[in-house]
Amino acid sequence: MTAVAAKPQAGSAMNPTAMAVGVVLLLIILAICWYVSPGIGFMALIAVIIGGVLIGFGTHFVPVGGAPAAMGQAPGIATGVAMLAAGAGLAGLFGGAWAAAAGQDTIVVIVSGGVGGGLMMAITCMMVNFVYVFGMGIPSASGKVAKDPITGDTQAEFKSQGTEGHGLPFVSFVGGVIGGFLGGAGGTLIYLALLKLYKATLPSVMGVTAAQVMPIAISAAGIFAVGLFLVNAVLTAYNITGTIEGPHDPKFKRWPRAIVASAVASALCGLVAVLIVAW
Amino acid sequence: MEQIVFGIGITALTGALATVAGAAEDTESNIGSQGDPNSQVQLAPQMGFLHRIFNKAVAGEPPAYGLWCCLGAGLAWAFMAMQFNAVLAIVLGSVLATFVQGVYATTAYVGRTASLSKFGQPVYVDILKSMTTVTMAHAFIAIFATVALCQLINGALGHPFPLPLLGLIWGIALGAAGSATGNPYYGKERQYQNQKFGAGVPISASGNIVRYAEAGERNSLDNGWFTTKIGGSAAGVCFGLIVFLELWRTVLFDKVSAGWGAIVVGVLMILVFTVVDRYIEVWARKNYGPYTEAKEVSS
Repeated sequence: MTAVAAKPQAGSAMNPTAMAVGVVLLLIILAICWYVSPGIGFMALIAVIIGGVLIGFGTHFVPVGGAPAAMGQAPGIATGVAMLAAGAGLAGLFGGAWAAAAGQDTIVVIVSGGVGGGLMMAITCMMVNFVYVFGMGIPSASGKVAKDPITGDTQAEFKSQGTEGHGLPFVSFVGGVIGGFLGGAGGTLIYLALLKLYKATLPSVMGVTAAQVMPIAISAAGIFAVGLFLVNAVLTAYNITGTIEGPHDPKFKRWPRAIVASAVASALCGLVAVLIVAW
Repeated sequence: MEQIVFGIGITALTGALATVAGAAEDTESNIGSQGDPNSQVQLAPQMGFLHRIFNKAVAGEPPAYGLWCCLGAGLAWAFMAMQFNAVLAIVLGSVLATFVQGVYATTAYVGRTASLSKFGQPVYVDILKSMTTVTMAHAFIAIFATVALCQLINGALGHPFPLPLLGLIWGIALGAAGSATGNPYYGKERQYQNQKFGAGVPISASGNIVRYAEAGERNSLDNGWFTTKIGGSAAGVCFGLIVFLELWRTVLFDKVSAGWGAIVVGVLMILVFTVVDRYIEVWARKNYGPYTEAKEVSS
Protein backbone atom coordinates (compact mmCIF):
# COMPACT_ATOMS: atom_id res chain seq x y z
CA MET A 1 0.00 0.00 0.00
CA THR A 2 1.35 3.42 -0.89
CA ALA A 3 1.39 6.37 1.46
CA VAL A 4 -1.31 7.93 -0.72
CA ALA A 5 -3.62 4.95 -0.54
CA ALA A 6 -3.23 4.53 3.23
CA LYS A 7 -6.31 5.62 5.14
CA PRO A 8 -5.23 5.87 8.74
CA GLN A 9 -7.87 5.62 11.38
CA ALA A 10 -6.98 8.67 13.36
CA GLY A 11 -6.63 8.33 17.08
CA SER A 12 -8.10 4.84 17.14
CA ALA A 13 -4.82 3.11 17.92
CA MET A 14 -4.34 4.62 21.36
CA ASN A 15 -3.07 1.87 23.66
CA PRO A 16 -3.64 2.69 27.37
CA THR A 17 -1.33 -0.09 28.56
CA ALA A 18 1.55 1.14 26.43
CA MET A 19 0.92 4.70 27.59
CA ALA A 20 0.98 3.55 31.23
CA VAL A 21 4.21 1.61 30.65
CA GLY A 22 5.68 4.74 29.06
CA VAL A 23 4.78 6.88 32.06
CA VAL A 24 6.24 4.30 34.46
CA LEU A 25 9.47 4.20 32.42
CA LEU A 26 9.60 7.98 32.54
CA LEU A 27 9.23 7.98 36.32
CA ILE A 28 11.97 5.33 36.68
CA ILE A 29 14.38 7.38 34.57
CA LEU A 30 13.55 10.51 36.56
CA ALA A 31 14.15 8.62 39.79
CA ILE A 32 17.55 7.40 38.57
CA CYS A 33 18.52 10.95 37.64
CA TRP A 34 17.29 12.26 41.00
CA TYR A 35 19.46 9.63 42.73
CA VAL A 36 22.58 10.34 40.63
CA SER A 37 22.38 14.10 40.30
CA PRO A 38 19.53 15.57 42.35
CA GLY A 39 20.23 19.25 41.76
CA ILE A 40 21.39 20.71 38.49
CA GLY A 41 21.38 17.39 36.62
CA PHE A 42 17.73 16.71 37.47
CA MET A 43 16.69 20.20 36.41
CA ALA A 44 18.57 19.73 33.13
CA LEU A 45 16.75 16.45 32.52
CA ILE A 46 13.36 18.08 33.13
CA ALA A 47 14.24 20.80 30.59
CA VAL A 48 15.42 18.17 28.10
CA ILE A 49 12.12 16.29 28.45
CA ILE A 50 10.09 19.48 27.94
CA GLY A 51 12.23 20.38 24.93
CA GLY A 52 11.86 16.89 23.48
CA VAL A 53 8.09 16.97 23.91
CA LEU A 54 7.94 20.38 22.20
CA ILE A 55 9.89 18.96 19.25
CA GLY A 56 7.72 15.84 19.07
CA PHE A 57 4.49 17.84 19.26
CA GLY A 58 5.77 20.50 16.84
CA THR A 59 6.67 17.93 14.20
CA HIS A 60 2.96 17.00 13.94
CA PHE A 61 2.26 20.47 12.53
CA VAL A 62 4.82 20.27 9.72
CA PRO A 63 3.02 19.48 6.44
CA VAL A 64 5.00 16.75 4.72
CA GLY A 65 3.78 14.72 1.76
CA GLY A 66 6.82 12.54 1.12
CA ALA A 67 7.25 10.90 -2.28
CA PRO A 68 3.63 11.36 -3.47
CA ALA A 69 3.96 15.12 -2.95
CA ALA A 70 6.95 15.15 -5.31
CA MET A 71 4.63 13.94 -8.09
CA GLY A 72 1.82 16.32 -7.16
CA GLN A 73 -0.20 13.33 -5.96
CA ALA A 74 -0.63 14.44 -2.35
CA PRO A 75 -0.46 17.77 -0.52
CA GLY A 76 2.47 18.77 1.62
CA ILE A 77 6.17 19.36 1.25
CA ALA A 78 7.98 16.76 -0.83
CA THR A 79 10.54 15.49 1.66
CA GLY A 80 10.79 13.44 4.85
CA VAL A 81 8.98 14.55 8.02
CA ALA A 82 11.92 14.05 10.32
CA MET A 83 14.35 15.72 7.96
CA LEU A 84 12.28 18.81 7.29
CA ALA A 85 11.45 19.23 10.97
CA ALA A 86 15.14 18.78 11.79
CA GLY A 87 16.15 21.32 9.14
CA ALA A 88 13.77 23.91 10.57
CA GLY A 89 14.50 23.13 14.20
CA LEU A 90 18.25 23.19 13.71
CA ALA A 91 18.01 26.55 11.96
CA GLY A 92 16.20 27.65 15.11
CA LEU A 93 18.81 26.08 17.37
CA PHE A 94 21.45 28.02 15.43
CA GLY A 95 19.68 31.30 16.21
CA GLY A 96 19.01 30.36 19.81
CA ALA A 97 22.62 29.36 20.46
CA TRP A 98 23.76 32.69 19.02
CA ALA A 99 21.40 34.61 21.28
CA ALA A 100 22.62 32.53 24.25
CA ALA A 101 26.23 33.39 23.44
CA ALA A 102 25.30 37.07 23.40
CA GLY A 103 24.17 36.66 27.03
CA GLN A 104 20.45 37.21 26.39
CA ASP A 105 17.72 36.33 28.83
CA THR A 106 16.56 32.67 28.79
CA ILE A 107 13.08 33.50 27.46
CA VAL A 108 14.58 35.66 24.70
CA VAL A 109 16.96 32.85 23.71
CA ILE A 110 14.18 30.23 23.51
CA VAL A 111 11.77 32.51 21.61
CA SER A 112 14.61 33.53 19.30
CA GLY A 113 15.26 29.86 18.53
CA GLY A 114 11.56 29.36 17.86
CA VAL A 115 11.34 32.34 15.53
CA GLY A 116 14.40 31.06 13.63
CA GLY A 117 12.65 27.72 13.05
CA GLY A 118 9.38 29.43 12.10
CA LEU A 119 11.15 31.74 9.66
CA MET A 120 12.88 28.80 7.96
CA MET A 121 9.54 27.04 7.52
CA ALA A 122 7.77 30.20 6.32
CA ILE A 123 10.37 30.72 3.58
CA THR A 124 10.38 27.04 2.61
CA CYS A 125 6.57 26.74 2.49
CA MET A 126 6.29 29.94 0.46
CA MET A 127 8.88 28.71 -2.04
CA VAL A 128 7.12 25.32 -2.30
CA ASN A 129 3.90 27.06 -3.30
CA PHE A 130 5.89 29.30 -5.65
CA VAL A 131 7.27 26.28 -7.50
CA TYR A 132 3.87 24.53 -7.62
CA VAL A 133 2.04 27.59 -8.91
CA PHE A 134 4.56 29.34 -11.15
CA GLY A 135 6.74 26.36 -12.10
CA MET A 136 4.12 23.68 -12.57
CA GLY A 137 0.83 25.56 -12.89
CA ILE A 138 -0.81 23.62 -10.05
CA PRO A 139 -3.00 25.32 -7.41
CA SER A 140 -3.05 24.14 -3.79
CA ALA A 141 -5.69 21.67 -2.67
CA SER A 142 -6.09 19.63 0.48
CA GLY A 143 -7.11 16.00 0.30
CA LYS A 144 -8.24 15.71 3.91
CA VAL A 145 -10.75 18.56 4.39
CA ALA A 146 -13.50 20.01 2.22
CA LYS A 147 -12.70 23.58 3.27
CA ASP A 148 -9.54 25.23 4.54
CA PRO A 149 -10.24 25.69 8.28
CA ILE A 150 -8.60 29.14 8.29
CA THR A 151 -9.56 30.75 4.98
CA GLY A 152 -12.71 28.76 4.25
CA ASP A 153 -11.56 28.09 0.67
CA THR A 154 -13.18 25.03 -0.85
CA GLN A 155 -10.67 22.35 -1.81
CA ALA A 156 -12.30 19.53 -3.77
CA GLU A 157 -12.70 21.31 -7.12
CA PHE A 158 -9.01 22.29 -7.15
CA LYS A 159 -7.89 18.70 -6.76
CA SER A 160 -6.72 17.34 -10.12
CA GLN A 161 -8.01 14.00 -11.30
CA GLY A 162 -6.53 10.88 -9.75
CA THR A 163 -4.69 12.69 -6.95
CA GLU A 164 -5.20 13.28 -3.24
CA GLY A 165 -4.54 17.01 -3.65
CA HIS A 166 -1.32 18.98 -4.03
CA GLY A 167 0.64 22.03 -2.90
CA LEU A 168 0.25 23.71 0.45
CA PRO A 169 -3.17 25.08 1.40
CA PHE A 170 -2.98 28.04 3.78
CA VAL A 171 -3.68 25.95 6.88
CA SER A 172 -0.67 23.76 6.03
CA PHE A 173 1.52 26.87 5.71
CA VAL A 174 0.42 28.05 9.14
CA GLY A 175 0.99 24.55 10.54
CA GLY A 176 4.50 24.53 9.10
CA VAL A 177 5.37 27.84 10.78
CA ILE A 178 3.95 26.66 14.14
CA GLY A 179 5.86 23.37 13.82
CA GLY A 180 9.10 25.18 13.02
CA PHE A 181 8.55 27.51 15.98
CA LEU A 182 7.91 24.70 18.47
CA GLY A 183 10.83 22.66 17.13
CA GLY A 184 13.26 25.57 17.24
CA ALA A 185 12.17 26.52 20.76
CA GLY A 186 12.39 22.91 21.99
CA GLY A 187 15.84 22.36 20.51
CA THR A 188 17.10 25.61 22.00
CA LEU A 189 15.69 24.71 25.43
CA ILE A 190 17.59 21.39 25.35
CA TYR A 191 20.76 23.17 24.29
CA LEU A 192 20.45 25.79 27.02
CA ALA A 193 19.79 23.23 29.76
CA LEU A 194 22.72 21.03 28.80
CA LEU A 195 25.04 24.02 28.29
CA LYS A 196 24.27 25.23 31.81
CA LEU A 197 24.88 21.74 33.20
CA TYR A 198 28.18 21.26 31.36
CA LYS A 199 29.44 24.75 32.18
CA ALA A 200 28.86 24.02 35.86
CA THR A 201 30.20 20.47 36.04
CA LEU A 202 32.82 19.96 33.34
CA PRO A 203 35.57 22.12 34.93
CA SER A 204 35.72 19.86 38.01
CA VAL A 205 35.23 16.64 35.99
CA MET A 206 38.06 17.49 33.58
CA GLY A 207 40.21 19.46 36.00
CA VAL A 208 40.44 22.56 33.78
CA THR A 209 39.34 26.17 34.06
CA ALA A 210 35.87 27.43 33.18
CA ALA A 211 37.21 29.33 30.16
CA GLN A 212 38.98 26.27 28.77
CA VAL A 213 35.86 24.15 29.08
CA MET A 214 33.56 26.47 27.12
CA PRO A 215 34.25 25.09 23.60
CA ILE A 216 33.72 21.53 24.85
CA ALA A 217 30.55 22.46 26.75
CA ILE A 218 29.09 24.29 23.73
CA SER A 219 29.98 21.46 21.34
CA ALA A 220 28.66 18.69 23.60
CA ALA A 221 25.40 20.55 24.33
CA GLY A 222 24.97 21.33 20.63
CA ILE A 223 25.56 17.74 19.55
CA PHE A 224 23.12 16.41 22.17
CA ALA A 225 20.53 18.97 21.05
CA VAL A 226 20.93 17.88 17.40
CA GLY A 227 20.73 14.21 18.42
CA LEU A 228 17.63 14.71 20.54
CA PHE A 229 16.08 16.60 17.70
CA LEU A 230 16.47 13.68 15.34
CA VAL A 231 15.24 11.17 17.95
CA ASN A 232 12.01 13.06 18.56
CA ALA A 233 11.39 13.99 14.93
CA VAL A 234 11.81 10.35 13.82
CA LEU A 235 9.50 9.12 16.59
CA THR A 236 6.82 11.50 15.35
CA ALA A 237 7.43 10.41 11.77
CA TYR A 238 6.51 6.88 12.83
CA ASN A 239 3.46 8.14 14.71
CA ILE A 240 2.04 9.84 11.61
CA THR A 241 3.26 7.06 9.27
CA GLY A 242 5.49 9.33 7.24
CA THR A 243 3.09 11.97 5.93
CA ILE A 244 0.73 14.56 7.34
CA GLU A 245 -1.01 17.60 5.89
CA GLY A 246 -0.85 19.72 9.02
CA PRO A 247 -3.05 20.44 12.05
CA HIS A 248 -6.26 19.77 10.08
CA ASP A 249 -5.19 16.22 9.16
CA PRO A 250 -7.02 13.49 11.13
CA LYS A 251 -3.62 11.96 11.89
CA PHE A 252 -2.84 15.03 13.99
CA LYS A 253 -5.12 13.61 16.70
CA ARG A 254 -2.52 10.96 17.41
CA TRP A 255 -0.30 13.50 19.17
CA PRO A 256 -0.88 12.27 22.76
CA ARG A 257 0.85 9.01 21.87
CA ALA A 258 3.85 10.89 20.53
CA ILE A 259 4.02 13.10 23.62
CA VAL A 260 4.50 10.07 25.89
CA ALA A 261 6.97 8.45 23.50
CA SER A 262 8.95 11.69 23.11
CA ALA A 263 9.04 12.21 26.87
CA VAL A 264 10.41 8.70 27.50
CA ALA A 265 12.94 8.84 24.65
CA SER A 266 14.10 12.33 25.61
CA ALA A 267 14.38 11.26 29.25
CA LEU A 268 16.56 8.29 28.34
CA CYS A 269 18.81 10.33 26.03
CA GLY A 270 18.87 13.17 28.55
CA LEU A 271 19.89 10.74 31.30
CA VAL A 272 22.92 9.74 29.21
CA ALA A 273 23.73 13.43 28.71
CA VAL A 274 23.57 13.94 32.49
CA LEU A 275 25.48 10.76 33.36
CA ILE A 276 28.56 11.73 31.33
CA VAL A 277 29.24 14.51 33.83
CA ALA A 278 27.50 13.25 36.96
CA TRP A 279 28.92 9.82 37.38
CA MET B 1 28.97 51.13 13.43
CA GLU B 2 31.96 49.67 11.62
CA GLN B 3 31.18 46.33 13.23
CA ILE B 4 27.59 46.43 11.96
CA VAL B 5 28.65 47.33 8.41
CA PHE B 6 31.17 44.50 8.50
CA GLY B 7 28.43 42.16 9.76
CA ILE B 8 26.05 43.20 6.96
CA GLY B 9 28.77 42.61 4.37
CA ILE B 10 29.48 39.14 5.70
CA THR B 11 25.74 38.45 5.86
CA ALA B 12 25.35 39.39 2.20
CA LEU B 13 28.28 37.17 1.27
CA THR B 14 26.87 34.20 3.19
CA GLY B 15 23.48 34.77 1.54
CA ALA B 16 25.14 34.66 -1.89
CA LEU B 17 27.09 31.52 -1.00
CA ALA B 18 23.89 29.89 0.31
CA THR B 19 22.09 30.69 -2.95
CA VAL B 20 24.84 28.99 -4.94
CA ALA B 21 24.82 26.05 -2.51
CA GLY B 22 21.05 25.61 -2.77
CA ALA B 23 21.06 25.67 -6.58
CA ALA B 24 24.00 23.23 -6.80
CA GLU B 25 22.47 20.93 -4.18
CA ASP B 26 19.17 20.64 -6.00
CA THR B 27 20.80 20.04 -9.37
CA GLU B 28 23.12 17.42 -7.86
CA SER B 29 20.23 15.61 -6.22
CA ASN B 30 18.14 15.73 -9.41
CA ILE B 31 20.95 14.29 -11.53
CA GLY B 32 21.33 11.55 -8.92
CA SER B 33 17.54 11.19 -8.39
CA GLN B 34 18.24 11.51 -4.68
CA GLY B 35 15.06 13.23 -3.54
CA ASP B 36 11.64 11.67 -3.20
CA PRO B 37 11.29 11.23 -7.01
CA ASN B 38 13.78 8.35 -6.70
CA SER B 39 10.75 6.23 -5.80
CA GLN B 40 9.55 6.54 -9.40
CA VAL B 41 12.99 5.80 -10.85
CA GLN B 42 13.09 2.68 -8.70
CA LEU B 43 9.49 1.76 -9.50
CA ALA B 44 9.69 2.19 -13.29
CA PRO B 45 11.56 -1.07 -14.11
CA GLN B 46 9.14 -2.96 -11.86
CA MET B 47 6.30 -1.66 -14.06
CA GLY B 48 8.17 -2.72 -17.20
CA PHE B 49 9.74 0.66 -18.05
CA LEU B 50 13.52 0.13 -18.27
CA HIS B 51 15.50 3.38 -18.28
CA ARG B 52 18.90 5.04 -18.21
CA ILE B 53 18.25 7.37 -15.26
CA PHE B 54 20.90 7.60 -12.54
CA ASN B 55 19.65 6.71 -9.07
CA LYS B 56 21.94 7.11 -6.10
CA ALA B 57 19.39 7.52 -3.33
CA VAL B 58 20.03 5.52 -0.20
CA ALA B 59 19.39 8.42 2.19
CA GLY B 60 17.33 11.57 2.04
CA GLU B 61 19.06 14.75 0.95
CA PRO B 62 19.13 16.33 4.45
CA PRO B 63 21.09 13.54 6.19
CA ALA B 64 23.33 13.05 3.15
CA TYR B 65 24.21 16.75 3.02
CA GLY B 66 24.47 16.84 6.79
CA LEU B 67 27.15 14.15 6.48
CA TRP B 68 29.05 15.70 3.58
CA CYS B 69 29.00 19.27 4.88
CA CYS B 70 29.93 18.10 8.39
CA LEU B 71 32.74 16.05 6.91
CA GLY B 72 33.96 18.94 4.75
CA ALA B 73 33.75 21.36 7.68
CA GLY B 74 35.44 18.94 10.08
CA LEU B 75 38.32 18.30 7.70
CA ALA B 76 38.67 22.01 6.93
CA TRP B 77 38.75 22.68 10.67
CA ALA B 78 41.47 20.05 11.12
CA PHE B 79 43.53 21.53 8.28
CA MET B 80 43.17 24.99 9.81
CA ALA B 81 44.35 23.57 13.13
CA MET B 82 47.43 22.40 11.18
CA GLN B 83 48.02 26.06 10.22
CA PHE B 84 46.72 25.71 6.66
CA ASN B 85 45.37 28.85 5.03
CA ALA B 86 41.57 28.96 5.60
CA VAL B 87 40.68 29.04 1.88
CA LEU B 88 42.98 26.12 1.10
CA ALA B 89 41.69 24.21 4.12
CA ILE B 90 38.06 24.66 3.02
CA VAL B 91 38.88 23.59 -0.55
CA LEU B 92 40.76 20.50 0.66
CA GLY B 93 38.03 19.59 3.16
CA SER B 94 35.36 19.96 0.47
CA VAL B 95 37.37 17.89 -2.03
CA LEU B 96 37.73 15.03 0.45
CA ALA B 97 34.04 15.19 1.35
CA THR B 98 33.24 15.13 -2.38
CA PHE B 99 35.22 11.89 -2.76
CA VAL B 100 33.07 10.37 -0.03
CA GLN B 101 30.02 11.55 -1.98
CA GLY B 102 31.46 9.87 -5.10
CA VAL B 103 31.91 6.55 -3.29
CA TYR B 104 28.40 6.86 -1.89
CA ALA B 105 26.94 7.63 -5.34
CA THR B 106 28.75 4.71 -6.97
CA THR B 107 27.77 2.09 -4.42
CA ALA B 108 24.23 3.46 -4.22
CA TYR B 109 23.69 3.32 -8.00
CA VAL B 110 25.19 -0.15 -8.36
CA GLY B 111 23.35 -1.49 -5.33
CA ARG B 112 19.96 -0.01 -6.15
CA THR B 113 20.09 -0.96 -9.80
CA ALA B 114 21.40 -4.48 -9.13
CA SER B 115 18.37 -5.04 -6.91
CA LEU B 116 16.23 -4.52 -10.03
CA SER B 117 17.98 -7.23 -12.06
CA LYS B 118 14.98 -9.56 -11.75
CA PHE B 119 12.99 -6.97 -13.72
CA GLY B 120 15.66 -6.86 -16.45
CA GLN B 121 17.10 -3.43 -15.55
CA PRO B 122 20.80 -3.36 -16.54
CA VAL B 123 23.56 -1.52 -14.65
CA TYR B 124 24.97 0.86 -17.28
CA VAL B 125 28.69 1.38 -16.78
CA ASP B 126 28.75 4.42 -19.07
CA ILE B 127 25.99 6.01 -16.98
CA LEU B 128 27.98 5.30 -13.83
CA LYS B 129 31.10 6.90 -15.33
CA SER B 130 29.49 9.98 -16.81
CA MET B 131 26.87 10.78 -14.14
CA THR B 132 28.94 10.18 -11.00
CA THR B 133 31.54 12.76 -11.92
CA VAL B 134 28.89 15.36 -12.73
CA THR B 135 27.12 14.83 -9.40
CA MET B 136 30.51 15.06 -7.67
CA ALA B 137 31.20 18.38 -9.38
CA HIS B 138 27.86 19.79 -8.24
CA ALA B 139 28.32 18.32 -4.77
CA PHE B 140 31.70 20.03 -4.50
CA ILE B 141 30.13 23.42 -5.26
CA ALA B 142 27.36 22.83 -2.72
CA ILE B 143 29.72 21.56 0.00
CA PHE B 144 32.35 24.25 -0.62
CA ALA B 145 29.77 27.05 -0.51
CA THR B 146 28.19 25.65 2.67
CA VAL B 147 31.48 25.11 4.49
CA ALA B 148 32.65 28.58 3.42
CA LEU B 149 29.49 30.19 4.79
CA CYS B 150 29.88 28.20 8.03
CA GLN B 151 33.44 29.48 8.33
CA LEU B 152 32.23 33.05 7.81
CA ILE B 153 29.49 32.59 10.43
CA ASN B 154 31.97 31.10 12.90
CA GLY B 155 35.07 33.16 12.17
CA ALA B 156 33.73 36.54 11.12
CA LEU B 157 30.33 36.75 12.84
CA GLY B 158 31.40 34.89 15.98
CA HIS B 159 28.79 32.14 16.27
CA PRO B 160 29.72 29.93 19.26
CA PHE B 161 29.25 26.54 17.50
CA PRO B 162 32.44 24.92 16.16
CA LEU B 163 32.81 24.57 12.39
CA PRO B 164 31.89 20.84 12.12
CA LEU B 165 28.66 21.33 14.09
CA LEU B 166 27.73 24.32 11.92
CA GLY B 167 28.45 22.15 8.88
CA LEU B 168 26.05 19.49 10.19
CA ILE B 169 23.30 22.00 11.00
CA TRP B 170 23.47 23.97 7.76
CA GLY B 171 24.03 20.79 5.73
CA ILE B 172 20.76 19.35 7.06
CA ALA B 173 18.99 22.69 6.52
CA LEU B 174 20.42 22.86 2.97
CA GLY B 175 19.12 19.38 2.16
CA ALA B 176 15.74 20.16 3.73
CA ALA B 177 15.28 23.41 1.80
CA GLY B 178 16.64 21.98 -1.46
CA SER B 179 14.56 18.82 -1.39
CA ALA B 180 11.38 20.63 -0.29
CA THR B 181 11.60 23.17 -3.09
CA GLY B 182 13.26 21.20 -5.85
CA ASN B 183 11.67 17.74 -5.58
CA PRO B 184 8.23 18.53 -7.02
CA TYR B 185 9.74 20.18 -10.06
CA TYR B 186 11.89 17.15 -10.85
CA GLY B 187 9.35 14.56 -9.75
CA LYS B 188 6.29 15.95 -11.47
CA GLU B 189 7.44 18.34 -14.14
CA ARG B 190 10.41 16.45 -15.54
CA GLN B 191 9.83 12.77 -14.86
CA TYR B 192 6.19 13.03 -15.93
CA GLN B 193 6.49 15.40 -18.87
CA ASN B 194 4.15 13.01 -20.68
CA GLN B 195 1.32 13.97 -18.30
CA LYS B 196 -0.88 17.05 -18.51
CA PHE B 197 0.70 20.35 -17.50
CA GLY B 198 -1.01 22.08 -14.59
CA ALA B 199 -2.23 18.97 -12.82
CA GLY B 200 -0.80 16.40 -10.45
CA VAL B 201 0.30 13.01 -11.72
CA PRO B 202 -2.61 10.54 -11.46
CA ILE B 203 -1.69 7.74 -9.10
CA SER B 204 -2.47 5.22 -11.86
CA ALA B 205 0.42 6.67 -13.93
CA SER B 206 3.04 5.92 -11.25
CA GLY B 207 6.18 4.39 -12.67
CA ASN B 208 5.54 5.50 -16.25
CA ILE B 209 8.37 8.04 -16.28
CA VAL B 210 9.62 9.68 -19.49
CA ARG B 211 12.51 7.60 -20.79
CA TYR B 212 13.23 9.07 -24.21
CA ALA B 213 14.85 12.36 -25.14
CA GLU B 214 14.88 14.33 -28.42
CA ALA B 215 17.44 11.84 -29.70
CA GLY B 216 17.95 8.50 -28.04
CA GLU B 217 17.24 7.65 -24.44
CA ARG B 218 17.01 10.30 -21.78
CA ASN B 219 19.67 10.30 -19.08
CA SER B 220 20.10 12.24 -15.88
CA LEU B 221 22.23 14.98 -17.40
CA ASP B 222 19.13 15.99 -19.39
CA ASN B 223 17.21 16.07 -16.12
CA GLY B 224 19.86 18.24 -14.45
CA TRP B 225 19.78 20.66 -17.38
CA PHE B 226 15.98 20.94 -17.22
CA THR B 227 15.53 21.29 -13.48
CA THR B 228 18.31 23.85 -13.05
CA LYS B 229 16.14 26.47 -14.67
CA ILE B 230 13.34 26.61 -12.11
CA GLY B 231 13.77 23.90 -9.47
CA GLY B 232 17.47 24.64 -8.93
CA SER B 233 17.06 28.41 -8.90
CA ALA B 234 14.07 28.20 -6.54
CA ALA B 235 16.01 25.94 -4.16
CA GLY B 236 18.91 28.41 -4.30
CA VAL B 237 16.67 31.38 -3.55
CA CYS B 238 15.01 29.42 -0.73
CA PHE B 239 18.24 28.47 1.05
CA GLY B 240 19.77 31.88 0.31
CA LEU B 241 16.79 33.64 1.90
CA ILE B 242 16.88 31.35 4.94
CA VAL B 243 20.57 31.97 5.63
CA PHE B 244 20.55 35.66 4.73
CA LEU B 245 17.43 36.64 6.69
CA GLU B 246 18.36 34.55 9.74
CA LEU B 247 21.77 36.22 9.93
CA TRP B 248 20.49 39.66 8.95
CA ARG B 249 17.90 39.85 11.71
CA THR B 250 20.46 38.70 14.28
CA VAL B 251 23.37 40.89 13.15
CA LEU B 252 21.30 44.07 12.89
CA PHE B 253 18.67 43.72 15.62
CA ASP B 254 20.16 41.41 18.26
CA LYS B 255 21.24 44.37 20.39
CA VAL B 256 17.86 46.13 20.19
CA SER B 257 15.76 45.81 23.38
CA ALA B 258 17.90 43.01 24.84
CA GLY B 259 17.28 40.62 21.95
CA TRP B 260 13.53 41.28 21.46
CA GLY B 261 14.39 43.40 18.40
CA ALA B 262 15.59 40.35 16.45
CA ILE B 263 12.50 38.41 17.55
CA VAL B 264 10.08 41.15 16.46
CA VAL B 265 11.83 41.48 13.10
CA GLY B 266 11.72 37.69 12.69
CA VAL B 267 7.98 37.62 13.40
CA LEU B 268 7.42 40.50 10.96
CA MET B 269 9.31 38.61 8.26
CA ILE B 270 7.20 35.51 8.93
CA LEU B 271 4.07 37.67 8.49
CA VAL B 272 5.42 39.07 5.21
CA PHE B 273 6.05 35.56 3.86
CA THR B 274 2.57 34.53 5.05
CA VAL B 275 1.00 37.35 3.03
CA VAL B 276 3.11 36.48 -0.03
CA ASP B 277 2.16 32.81 0.28
CA ARG B 278 -1.54 33.65 0.56
CA TYR B 279 -1.25 35.95 -2.46
CA ILE B 280 0.33 33.13 -4.51
CA GLU B 281 -2.40 30.69 -3.41
CA VAL B 282 -5.25 33.07 -4.25
CA TRP B 283 -3.60 34.06 -7.54
CA ALA B 284 -3.46 30.41 -8.59
CA ARG B 285 -7.10 29.80 -7.64
CA LYS B 286 -8.22 32.82 -9.65
CA ASN B 287 -6.05 32.32 -12.71
CA TYR B 288 -6.00 28.56 -13.08
CA GLY B 289 -9.58 27.97 -12.07
CA PRO B 290 -11.08 24.79 -10.67
CA TYR B 291 -10.62 21.41 -12.38
CA THR B 292 -14.23 20.46 -11.73
CA GLU B 293 -17.48 22.17 -10.74
CA ALA B 294 -17.61 23.17 -7.10
CA LYS B 295 -19.68 20.79 -5.03
CA GLU B 296 -20.13 19.96 -1.38
CA VAL B 297 -17.99 17.01 -0.38
CA SER B 298 -17.52 15.30 2.90
CA SER B 299 -13.98 14.44 3.84
